[in-house]
Amino acid sequence: MLRYTLRRLASAVPTVFIIVTLTFFMIRLAPGGPFDLERPLDPLIMANLNRAYNLDGSLWSQYLTYLGNLLQGDLGPSFTRRDFSVNDLFATGLPVSILLGSLALLLATVIGVILGAIAALRQNSSLDYAIVGLATFGITTPNFVVAPLLSLFFGVLLGWLPAGGWSQTDPIYWVLPVLTLALPQVAVIARLVRGATVEALRSNHVRTARAYGLPARTVVIKHALRAAMLPAVSYLGPTAAGLLTGSVVVETIFGLPGIGRYFVQGALGRDYTLVMGTVVVIALFVIVFNLIVDLLYTFLDPRVRYD
Amino acid sequence: MEPILDIKGLRVTFQTNDGPVEAVRGIDLSVKPGETVAIVGESGSGKSQATMALMGLLARNGKATGSALYRGQELIGMSERNLNKVRGDKITMIFQEPMTSLDPLYRIGEQLAEPLRFHRGLSRAKARPRIVELLKLVGIPEPERRIDSYPHELSGGQRQRVMIAMALACDPDILIADEPTTALDVTIQAQILTLLAELQQRLGMAILFITHDLGIVQRFADRVYVMRRGEVVETGATADLFAAPAHPYTRMLLDAEPAGRKLPPPENAPVLLDGQNVEVVFRSSGGLFQPADELRAVDGISVALHQGQTIGIVGESGSGKSTLGRALLRLLPSAGVISYKGRELTNDPAAMRPMRRELQLVFQDPFGSLSPRMTVGRIITEGLMIHEPALSARERDVRAGEALAEVGLEPGMRNRYPHEFSGGQRQRIAIARTMILKPKVIVLDEPTSALDRSVQKQIVDLLRDLQQKHGLSYLFISHDLAVVRALADYILVMKQGRVVEQGQTEAIFDHPAQDYTRTLMAAALETTRFRQEDPAPVLP
Amino acid sequence: MTVTPDPAEVVAVSGRSLWQDAWIRLRRNRAAVASAVVLILLGLVGLFGPMLSPHDHARVYPQFVRVPASLEAYPRADVVLPSFEREMSRARIEGEPVLEDGSVTLALQQDEPIDERILRYFQRSDLFINPRLDLAPDGLSGTLTAEVGQLHFYFGTDALGRDLMSRVFIGVRISLAIGLLASFMALVIGVSYGAISGYLGGRVDNVMMRVVDILYSLPFIFFVILLVVFFGRNLVIIFIAIGATEWLDMARIVRGQTLSLKRQEFVQAAEALGATKAGILRRHIIPNTLGPVVVFVTLLVPKAILLESLLSFLGLGVQEPLTSLGLLISEGANNMRGAPWLLFFPALTLTAILFALNFLGDGLRDSLDPKDR
Repeated sequence: MLRYTLRRLASAVPTVFIIVTLTFFMIRLAPGGPFDLERPLDPLIMANLNRAYNLDGSLWSQYLTYLGNLLQGDLGPSFTRRDFSVNDLFATGLPVSILLGSLALLLATVIGVILGAIAALRQNSSLDYAIVGLATFGITTPNFVVAPLLSLFFGVLLGWLPAGGWSQTDPIYWVLPVLTLALPQVAVIARLVRGATVEALRSNHVRTARAYGLPARTVVIKHALRAAMLPAVSYLGPTAAGLLTGSVVVETIFGLPGIGRYFVQGALGRDYTLVMGTVVVIALFVIVFNLIVDLLYTFLDPRVRYD
Repeated sequence: MEPILDIKGLRVTFQTNDGPVEAVRGIDLSVKPGETVAIVGESGSGKSQATMALMGLLARNGKATGSALYRGQELIGMSERNLNKVRGDKITMIFQEPMTSLDPLYRIGEQLAEPLRFHRGLSRAKARPRIVELLKLVGIPEPERRIDSYPHELSGGQRQRVMIAMALACDPDILIADEPTTALDVTIQAQILTLLAELQQRLGMAILFITHDLGIVQRFADRVYVMRRGEVVETGATADLFAAPAHPYTRMLLDAEPAGRKLPPPENAPVLLDGQNVEVVFRSSGGLFQPADELRAVDGISVALHQGQTIGIVGESGSGKSTLGRALLRLLPSAGVISYKGRELTNDPAAMRPMRRELQLVFQDPFGSLSPRMTVGRIITEGLMIHEPALSARERDVRAGEALAEVGLEPGMRNRYPHEFSGGQRQRIAIARTMILKPKVIVLDEPTSALDRSVQKQIVDLLRDLQQKHGLSYLFISHDLAVVRALADYILVMKQGRVVEQGQTEAIFDHPAQDYTRTLMAAALETTRFRQEDPAPVLP
Repeated sequence: MTVTPDPAEVVAVSGRSLWQDAWIRLRRNRAAVASAVVLILLGLVGLFGPMLSPHDHARVYPQFVRVPASLEAYPRADVVLPSFEREMSRARIEGEPVLEDGSVTLALQQDEPIDERILRYFQRSDLFINPRLDLAPDGLSGTLTAEVGQLHFYFGTDALGRDLMSRVFIGVRISLAIGLLASFMALVIGVSYGAISGYLGGRVDNVMMRVVDILYSLPFIFFVILLVVFFGRNLVIIFIAIGATEWLDMARIVRGQTLSLKRQEFVQAAEALGATKAGILRRHIIPNTLGPVVVFVTLLVPKAILLESLLSFLGLGVQEPLTSLGLLISEGANNMRGAPWLLFFPALTLTAILFALNFLGDGLRDSLDPKDR
């Protein structure tokens, strides 16, 4: 198992390398620069700035410098937030995104599994149709529709919750963002679990369990639901990575200091290091969570062995 | 003796999109203690659904009515809770699919403990010695170790043994065996049947055996019910029923056992297809750290097929017989010298293309071998488009009609699509597709294995007629020795890519030299033993 | 259990293809049929709506900024006279205007000759149409009449006073166009890439799929954003960007299909008949991949629409005065406190489109699924 983990991590290195390289040259070859203002800067100041931010060498040497710094864990200074390094920005933004993301992940998993299982057990009942309808709604309605509607309804019209804003300590500010993040995932997980449970209930080994007079609870929980969890688990890997690295939409609408906004802001402001940093962080999250899911799988399904 | 299971007027109805479908139409059936009762019927006769109904295992859209009394208790319409006190305890069941009947996520010991825990109130620890005992009883080697195996670590035959152990766990009155050997290899089939017979002698439960295989019925059952389209058409003691079948359907089933013999071709018949030292090696590409795996599927086999001859290739699954058939037609890259009418066949697909016309192949699965989105007419004439591109669409259409007529189908059917036909009809279409090219050699890869017995016979007859009419040479691949015996005049017995025995059909059947050949034959011979006299051989 | 009809009962001489079967099953699926109807209606709205709408989507009505959605005509009766009086004060005329039968009449009496140019103030106003000045021969008195305009803003107007309905129509048009074009692009690239990779197999397949894997590991949406940010915000770039990222799934699906088809016995049967690779690809493989591909395209269209809306929402999509549903929702979100209809109508429309497409895709999948038979 350990060998497998190490091998997987080793094979992630070239992937990260390719992503970093592609992104680096893509943003550098694009027109525009971080210090292009409406009124051109004095050439001397421009040259100083470029030197200060290590933009004066050849593209190739800049690339090598960046890679070298990256290996030491240094993501470089931010171009648009002059007093901060990209590491500083992530140090403050990442905890917010991880907090909200993990709450949403937890909520989505619990509710999604429950709804999916209920729908499967009451297949073709009105309850099933209601859950499937809700799930379709959750999947089709984009979060940039859900977020303002929630904010409008609970924040502005009813006034129960803050319509936006952030507090590290007051959970009431977390409710709407977490709901927005969780809703589509609840829907996807419910649909996955429902489908897998329906399939599992039709499977031969569940028929065996019923034929041997096991109580309905044992049949469902032990023999159907455990098998039905597997597709949801593999879905959760990339989803967790996505949730924990923040959402530009949710952060924009509710005004949250997470890291989801960095990419768009960085791209618009030609903040090269910020863009690169975001890409690296997200790639690492994706790799780590896919690995976690694959390892988790070996515990859930004895047929899966990697060694 | 009073019956312990008494079924009266049992009906099973399924609600489908096309309205209700009656799978079982009012059957009466009884089982006495310790008795072995067989239900025989072809696929779709409702034999499985009848037992599913009394176990409360019907699909959601199914509903059972009528009566099924177990020791005076009504099972039909019984609440799930009360049913759970009977099933798995007093009445147990083993299924057709040993590979999937056990939960892949739990160790077999855990699964075997469940009936003991729920019906006997044993703790896991208390159940364990009993489970080891049960595993020993059904002949699982090293039961103390195997108890902690997962199902995927066991072979199909072993899994079926585990299922039998589970069925015996609570000393049932009735064991329902729903086609328990159909999915297993012939050699394993015999072992499982023997095990069931022994266990019944020792433990004395009644067995309700559901099968399509008359050989098993004859060997096993005290009484037989013959089912057709949801009804019991005939019932009686096994010996009586086999001796004097009353219902035409029963007679048809009995006659459906392939019969007849094929005489070898004349001595001077020329060799058409000649393979020397044919070899097929499959390589799985290894990763960076593992070496590549090699599987010698066909390991140096020589075959000479004469004009008008039928060579039967037999062996258990995985013995390489299908691979050999394809290799001889160079449909797989293969080593060794293969020649047809003295011309060498190479591995170059382009060079082979014109030769394919006279060297044809018919597949096992009539559902998979026809392209689902083409009409039957287009499927049949595809070969003509390739080999006689000059033909007009009209001429092709005429030829398609002729080919269909030749295999006994309506020419008007050529505008329909494959999914509208039954299995036997599809296999006829597949044969028509090859016959339209007027081939000389046809490799028949288990062409009857996916079909019901009565349909098998029709296809066997058709193949025999075509062979006589056109002087064809067949390479007949099958695991079913009854069919091979009826069709082939020469036999190759294959095991692990090698020929272990070969010779004239009669010689092999009368004096098999290898144990392996004898086990292969066991099942096939059982099925034919009941016939008093075989009809005279058919001359080619 | 499958119940096969007795062959003797099947009498129809002309056969039903799997497509015809699927069509029959699809027609029985009410949600899918309803979705198809909704989509056709929305398609018509996108095509002809902007032409038939009484307002141009870019036309600004300064007097009707953020008026709520209403079936009644604007202006409301109580604002007519005050508005008229405001124009009068701008025109520096005095008098008592009278509102009657949908037109305003003002009797004018001045010491100096009345300047006809005062009409301009009323002409410029969106509230009044056909203002007329009937002067007495001496030019010192006369009547100013103007009909009150009958403007309908069924969805209300936005913060600049533009008709929301016309803008939603344009949004529908842009969204559907982007969805269809981008999906078509993904379809063409994905199907050819996947079929070639799957059918050639071996080393070629390995290399081609490796490329897809690497592209997969690039954060998707970010790639689109990068393209749009760096190469400009216009429709062509947006649909190329979306199409260029969405073809990966398609390529994988088609490759998987091709691989499994290659192993099917009917393909082997064609090989045994001596068919060429091209013939097998044309007659056997491509027709059989169409089912899953059609289903996937129906699900791809909403994805593309969603992606475009997201870009527009982030301000990276189409530019003013052109609009799209995502942009409208973004504006709606900014104005939701005072003008919730600005959020409500575009959100409803987008949700309806996505809902209908998803239901249709699900319905298609069910009807093409052989397991359902």
